[in-house]
Amino acid sequence: MTSQIMPPLRAAVIGCGAIAYEHLPFVARSNAAMPVALCDRSRAMADAAARHFGLAVPLYTDAEEMLAKERPDIVHVLTPPQSHDPLVRAALGAGAHVVCEKPMTGSTAETVGLLDAADAAGKVLVESRNLLWNDPVLELMEMVRGGKLGEVRECEVLLTLDFLGGPFGDSNLAGDIGLPGGAVHDFLPHLVYLFQALTGAGEAECVIGEYTNRSGNARAGYDFCDVLLRAGPVRGRLRVATDVEPSAFRVILRGSEGSVESDLYNPFQRFEGRPYTGKTYPLGQVRAGLSLARAGLGNLRNKIGQHGTTHGLPRMLAAVYAAIREGRAPPITPAEMLATARLTDQILALRSAP
Amino acid sequence: MRVFVTGAAGFLGTATAKAAAAAGHEVLAMHRPSSQLGYSGVEPVAGDLRQPGPWRDRLADCEAVIHCAAAASGDLATQLAGTVLATENLLAALPAGLKRFVHVSSFSVYDFGEPKWFGSLHESTATEHNPARRDAYTQTKLLQEEMVRSHCQQRGIPLVVVRPGAIYGPGKDWDFGRAMKLGKLDLIFAPSSRMRLVHVDDCAKALVAALDAPVEGELIVNVVGEDQPSHWSFHRRARRAGAAVGTPVPVPYPLVRALGAAAWLASRLFFRGKARLPEMLDLPRQQVRWRNLRYPASKAKARLGWSETVPLSQGIGGIVKK
Repeated sequence: MTSQIMPPLRAAVIGCGAIAYEHLPFVARSNAAMPVALCDRSRAMADAAARHFGLAVPLYTDAEEMLAKERPDIVHVLTPPQSHDPLVRAALGAGAHVVCEKPMTGSTAETVGLLDAADAAGKVLVESRNLLWNDPVLELMEMVRGGKLGEVRECEVLLTLDFLGGPFGDSNLAGDIGLPGGAVHDFLPHLVYLFQALTGAGEAECVIGEYTNRSGNARAGYDFCDVLLRAGPVRGRLRVATDVEPSAFRVILRGSEGSVESDLYNPFQRFEGRPYTGKTYPLGQVRAGLSLARAGLGNLRNKIGQHGTTHGLPRMLAAVYAAIREGRAPPITPAEMLATARLTDQILALRSAP
Repeated sequence: MRVFVTGAAGFLGTATAKAAAAAGHEVLAMHRPSSQLGYSGVEPVAGDLRQPGPWRDRLADCEAVIHCAAAASGDLATQLAGTVLATENLLAALPAGLKRFVHVSSFSVYDFGEPKWFGSLHESTATEHNPARRDAYTQTKLLQEEMVRSHCQQRGIPLVVVRPGAIYGPGKDWDFGRAMKLGKLDLIFAPSSRMRLVHVDDCAKALVAALDAPVEGELIVNVVGEDQPSHWSFHRRARRAGAAVGTPVPVPYPLVRALGAAAWLASRLFFRGKARLPEMLDLPRQQVRWRNLRYPASKAKARLGWSETVPLSQGIGGIVKK
């Protein structure tokens, strides 16, 4: 049976904060999903989300009660990371597949525990890695697959973002953010899975660098990391910083035949293959200029059209739902999630003393 | 009366806490831990409504609440947390037997398309029927007001909903009526449309008056100044008072609407209607800011015994930095 004629998955969402507003457009509008419940510790937040998306579904403040009453086929766990473990286990225990926001856990050991629980329940558990479905990343993946870069030798991912200006650094809020790697940890899975997906690397043989708190913001825990790593023939550099402008999510790939640079916040693509020299030098410059002009227009169009950094998320969800409905392996496998968790652990080992 | 004022380090909250203390009330002034109260005569209560905390104990023996706290900027998630979640936590902590809840709402909750041409916008004007077409502020203020109303009805708490106009005062000048600055030019959209200004001190006095006003169930009042200048005249008067403004370039309201219609059409044709437009090109939000309406404040006068004490000329003098 194809997914078009299969019944939609009865979907519930736990956690109605910011990221829910990225998941719910798919849940509310896709033919593959039938929303059955929203749950949040705050009824007002659940109600606000329901109204925003025009969902006439029961609202809950207790996840266990929701799971028992609604028996959803799939649950989106979109709460703060420290609450993921019990909620994912509860959803799996209630017979639901689970899509969990990243980071799913704070350590490899916890990830192994949840993957084992999913395996035992016979259900799909997917940790979100939505950036792999973003246009610039899809283009990079295509270049890698097509051999345009030759053998990939280096991958740099740089995230600069003033995340201390939001809840991660808001000193008015009590407590920390509940991740061993602090605020950086919330973003780190993106950098790690991008590195792994673009280079094919798994764990690293060598990881050196700095993982620290530069701002002194106690709530953030850690707000900076800059690590160099080596995995087989591949070298990598992953950086997260809050103290530089402008905001950027820069990805650079260098291979034996060429290099390419892109940005996930303000996408452009700058490919440099064999150098334009001699009479072809002006042609190279013109091509580079046209490429930037095209990127500028594209970014303006994206900005107006609300084609933002999370535009890959509904694509990812569509792929996950299709795999579940058709009984195929999910597009994000347990092995990939485990590899990301392990490399993340290696990076977290560089943490400075609090 | 022992009064709990939320948002007491903010623009309106500061004036309100001071006015309540000056009126003889015992004021507990709640402020976020990172912001300090710049005044005395009140009991400071440090806390954040987005989270439960010791502030709830301080609220326990209060007789009235003036709820000024809200997130007036930021994305939808920020405003949901700072306005909706914060209000939910506040309502859950209200003591039994609370004598009065004064809620600071906003003109932004109204449906500005409802009044007839050159008509009036008053307390019985409908609220926005399609909040999704407006901004996050409108969406969250509507939710907030509805939550407060529902809670007060269920608990039998007398409620006064105050909907202030554009609150101005030192530090808040509404760009002196201009829509946009282009070098030395100030674009004045809808130059003859009225601004619904109210001075922050006058707004605070209305909130304090609402503590004692006779109310059965619920009372809704708009608070707006008597002198309602046009955008152009506000700009001109500010310039005369010494404001560093540019050369005014009036853009008639029909032209503003035509630009909005063109943007709407482009959105439909090229972005499947999903284009994110700035306020000046977004038809529903254009009406809110630039439609020419009258804003009577007769109900606030009659029911709260409120009157304006800061004339516009004096208020402009206070916001102009010379």
